[in-house]
Order: sequence, then structure tokens, then C-alpha cells
Amino acid sequence: MLLELIQGTEGGGLIIIQDSIHYSGRTLLMSFIKAALKRDEVVHLLAFELHEEELKHELGHSCLQRLKFHNAFHDPLGWNENPPFTVHQFITSELDSLLTSNQHSKPVTLVIDSFSFILRHLSPSAVCKTLQQLKKGGAVKTTLGLLHSDMHHRNMVGSICHLATSVLTVAPGHQCHEAVAKTIRRAKSGKISQAVERFSISDDMTVKVQSKPVPVGSGQGEAGDAEVDPTANLTFNLRLSDQERQAKEKLALPFVFSKEKKSALLRPVPGSGRILYEPDANDDYDQEDPDDDLDI
Amino acid sequence: MAAPMKSMGSSFNATSFQKKTRSKLISIPGTRPSVQNGQLIVSTGVTSLDYLIGGGLAVGTVLLIEEDRYNSYSQMVLKYFMAEGVLCGHELFLASAQDHPDDILTELPAPILDDIASGPHASQDAMKIAWRYQNLPKVQTALASSSRFGHYYDVSKKMEPEIRQAANCHAFYLPEHSTESPLLESYSALLRSIQEVIRKGGFDGAAPPAKSRNVLRIGLPSLGSPLWGDDLCCRDNPAHGHALTTFLYGLRAVLRSSLSVAVLTIPSHLIQNRAVMGNITRLCDNAIALESFKGSDRETNPLYKDYHGLLHVRQVPRLNCLLTELPDHKDLAFKLKRKQFTIERLHLPPDLSETVSRVSRGELAGAAATGTSCGSSGNKHLDF
Repeated sequence: MLLELIQGTEGGGLIIIQDSIHYSGRTLLMSFIKAALKRDEVVHLLAFELHEEELKHELGHSCLQRLKFHNAFHDPLGWNENPPFTVHQFITSELDSLLTSNQHSKPVTLVIDSFSFILRHLSPSAVCKTLQQLKKGGAVKTTLGLLHSDMHHRNMVGSICHLATSVLTVAPGHQCHEAVAKTIRRAKSGKISQAVERFSISDDMTVKVQSKPVPVGSGQGEAGDAEVDPTANLTFNLRLSDQERQAKEKLALPFVFSKEKKSALLRPVPGSGRILYEPDANDDYDQEDPDDDLDI
Repeated sequence: MAAPMKSMGSSFNATSFQKKTRSKLISIPGTRPSVQNGQLIVSTGVTSLDYLIGGGLAVGTVLLIEEDRYNSYSQMVLKYFMAEGVLCGHELFLASAQDHPDDILTELPAPILDDIASGPHASQDAMKIAWRYQNLPKVQTALASSSRFGHYYDVSKKMEPEIRQAANCHAFYLPEHSTESPLLESYSALLRSIQEVIRKGGFDGAAPPAKSRNVLRIGLPSLGSPLWGDDLCCRDNPAHGHALTTFLYGLRAVLRSSLSVAVLTIPSHLIQNRAVMGNITRLCDNAIALESFKGSDRETNPLYKDYHGLLHVRQVPRLNCLLTELPDHKDLAFKLKRKQFTIERLHLPPDLSETVSRVSRGELAGAAATGTSCGSSGNKHLDF
């Protein structure tokens, strides 16, 4: 599922990469960017935490030229005059003007590095509103962002991931070059699919997924182990051979009725609780209901 | 005095007694008086859920559904509620901050208009020794009362647009209503909109009696999420902790004086503050919580393999009576089948082998093993 997300065959939406201090998701983010550029899409990158030089070092110069890079690293809060991009510009109106500056008809991918920076300076409900409008509006096909899950309260992470179409949680793997990615994807029909895969990223930013995925619930393996057969290892024989089974079925049981009597007794009786009342001579059976006189 | 007997319909009943009532209540299609306390009740669209909350949802009350983690089953229950309103001819009001209400309405499930078969009677093999019990129905684990109230829906099909457009629906989509308003404005705008619809539609009794009465069904998905401008889900100590509770208080006041029912869903798994969640539960009349197994390690537990999640009944109201009838089985699990959303009692399988059941009983963590277990984590083999 990880490769499908990178190739973009799923149809976009909001993709969040959750990382932690043990394993940084930035290289995975770069591989997403590279794959999008290979597909000839328009990619906008809002870099709050990454310097341009570092990005050049990671992605390569040619990629950087084709990328629409918005430098939000130098002055994100607008302390000096003429900041290139501030964090307060992360609202729909500003983003729309930014993204529609090109008249191409190619799908647009917006990459944000990272959401954690934005969440520190803007209120979560405003960020959620903007993300929802980005998801709904037609300007951007895919929104992709990095979220450092250990920087925020668990609920904040949960509220942002609640809006997401796919959430990728990355963690270090057992071997040094490998990492484990847990993907949860919400399809439009509401169906949830999830997968846990081991992957490694090579130097040219291509992701290789190992063929054997980690089982989801590895602790449950012992529960399905051999069910003990109670008829084995006994000093007496509890099993039946075929002949013995046939002889057992042929045996006529006592107190058994013939077939006709059985079916006569089994015929469905209409309503098992019937009150059959025949009024006696002494009974005063009045059809009227005495409660009719009541006027409530 | 023997009451005159009326014959029942085709269903198999233990008794043929029928209460002779003179109905002085107003008769609105899709509603009926409750057998427990005489309140006017409507069906929620899910017959098992109707059974759990006392026959149906009383008109003038609020049902709170605590969402499951990915909000799939709670949305389904809300869609059932709206579809039931369409079929009964009630008016609908849907307010949403995430998806447009019209999009939600296009996804309503299609009703199954012919009766579904009442169980596989023919497929029972003949019993050799206990043949007198052959035709009796099997023990029902699904919760249902003897009389059917409500319709069944097919989840795989969508409701036809002709049926849907026959119902009058009012929509409230939050992005259309507010641009830069502060937090409290979104909830008060919603409350004002509800009051407006009730007043105009005559649900509060102000309409002339010539016009026939109807019930308004209000659906509020994902209330309290950050898209409403509320940081209840994001912080432990929210800045405006009273906004949602004030809204619920006002909503209940509006509903009590009109012929309307509300169902709202809240992402309670994001609200960490137990006090706020307790307040919200108290302010609603009925409260249930859905917990789905998807994405958690319970999915692979063999005991839960038939079900999609657990259902907890948090609160049932006491309307005009001293005590309510709570369901006597507290361990309930739900399963979304194509034609039915069933809620069943969760029962443990028989204890066949020593090692298997002890291990799984310990992993249930007390959820289902309330009355029956006698110390789960212990030694495995007792040697005599």
C-alpha cells in the first residue's frame, strides 16, 4: 500500500506522515516529492523546517528547479519586512492565490514540512478548517505533510489525523537500514484498509518495500496453535469406525414414534396460546367494555 | 373476564392476547406510543437499537452516539436514522461542518420493501431424539421485540432519488454560514437555525390544527470536532469548554417543546477530559458508544471474529417514570451485515480446552467476562 500511495494511484486527498524522534519521516517525504515530480505534476513545497541548501543537498539541483519552493524557513513569523512566506499565510484565501498562479492543467500537489510548526502558531481549529477546504476544493489534488507525533498532545494528533485520507506512521525497523511503515487508508466508501510494511530508501530516493510484511498482531500467534485433540492419547478408544457408525445409526431407539405420528404431532398449530371460552348459563358475559364510561 | 381474542399476524407469538386501547394520542405516521411509559416514540432505523433504548426514541429527546475511531459505523447509524425519516414521511434537518448535507443525503441506504424471511425454518435437519422441538425457533441472540417497528435497509444500494426527494430536508452547512466568526457563533447559529425551522414548520404546536402534525428529525454528525471551531478535541483544558454544553442545553430545551428528535455523534475518542464527556452525556437523554475493532489488536482476537465492534449503552432516560428498563445484558456487540445492522449479546464459547480459553479470557480484559469468570490470570493446571 505504501508504494501505491507514493505512485499516487489512490486519488490524492490528505496524506499525513507521522514520525517521531526515533525515525525521521523527512526522507520518505522527499521520496514522495521525487515521485510526484517524475509524474510531471506541479509540486508546491512550504518549507518551514528545512533550509534551501539542505533541500538542494537532499533532492538534487534539477529537482529543485522544477519544484515550486516557498521559503518559509527564514522568516516564518514575519519579524522583518517583506518575509517570503509566513505561517499566518496558511489560510485558504492566501493559499488559493499562491496555487492558482500557474495556469497549467496538471494536478497540483502541496507538500508541507511540517504541520507541527503550523500547529504551534495557529489554532488547531483554524488549521483543520484550512485542511478541510484544501481537501474539498479543486485546486489541490493531494496535500501531503509531515507531523511530529511526539511534539503534540495525543488528541491534537488524533484530531488532525481524523481528517486525513491516509495516515502513515513510520518507526525504526529491526535492521539498521530498514524502517516500518504502518498505513491506514480511508476509502471514499468509508472502508478502512491498513497494512504494515518494511521499507528502505535508497540514495536516489526510491522506496523499496520488503516482500514479507510484518504481521499485524504478532502476539496472537500462539492462540491459534494446535487445539488439543481430546480423543488422542487415551487408554480406551473413543473414536468410531465407519461400520460402527452405521450400526449406531441403524439402532432403533425406544419410545420412538413412527414417521406419520411424528409429522402429525409436528404440524404447526396456529397460535400456541388460545383461550377457548364458552360462556356458561350463569355467566354474565357482556360484550361492552366497562371502561367505556370513563372520560379522562 | 375473558378478553375477546384477536388473532395475530403471521409472526410466531407466545400469546395471542391483544390489549384493547382507545388511543387519545395524536397519530403521526411513523410513530407509536411506547408500551413502557406511554411516550410517543419513533424508530431509529435500526431495530436492535430500538429494542435497547426502550422500544424507540421518544419524541423530544436527544440520542448521543459516541463515534468509533474512524467514524464509519456511527455515520452508518445516522444514515439509517435519516433514511427512516424519509420512509416515514418525517421532515429532516441535517447540519454538518465536514461534508455537505446534500452529499450525506445521497448516500442513504435503500429500503427493503418486502418482508425479509423470519429465519431459516426449513434448513433444520431432523432431530432423532428431541424431535418434538424441531419446529421451534432457535434461541435468538439478536435483540428484537415481537412487533416490528421500523424498516430494514440494504447497505449496498443507495436510496432512489425519487423516494428521497419526497421528504422535505433542511440543510445547515457550516462553511456557508460563517466566515470569520468566533467559536460560540457557530453553535448559536446552529441553534437559531433549528429554532427557525421548528417555528416555520409548526412543530412546536403553534400551527393551526387543520394542518397535520409531523415530526422533525435532526441529525448532527461530528459535533464538537475542530471543524466547528471547537478545541474540545485538541486540548485537555479547552479554552471554551462550555460552548458545546451550552448548545446541548439549549437544544434539549428546544426539543422538549416541539415534536422533534435529534441524533448527534461526537468524536469522544478525541476528548480526553472525562468531566466534559460526562457533562455531555448527562445533557443528552440516550447515549450509546460504538467501539470498532478495526485498527486495534482486538481485530485478530478469535472471540470477536464474527462482529465488527462493541456497543456500550451509557445512558437511558427516565421520562415520566421512576425507573427505566435497562437491557439486562451489558456485553453487546454489533455487526453490520448487508441487510441489517444487528446488535447481539456477546457470549463466550464453551470452555472446551484448558489452554485456549484461559488465554483468551485474560485478553478480554474484563470486557465480556464479568459474571462468569473466577479469576482470569492464574495458574493453568490444577492437579488433584
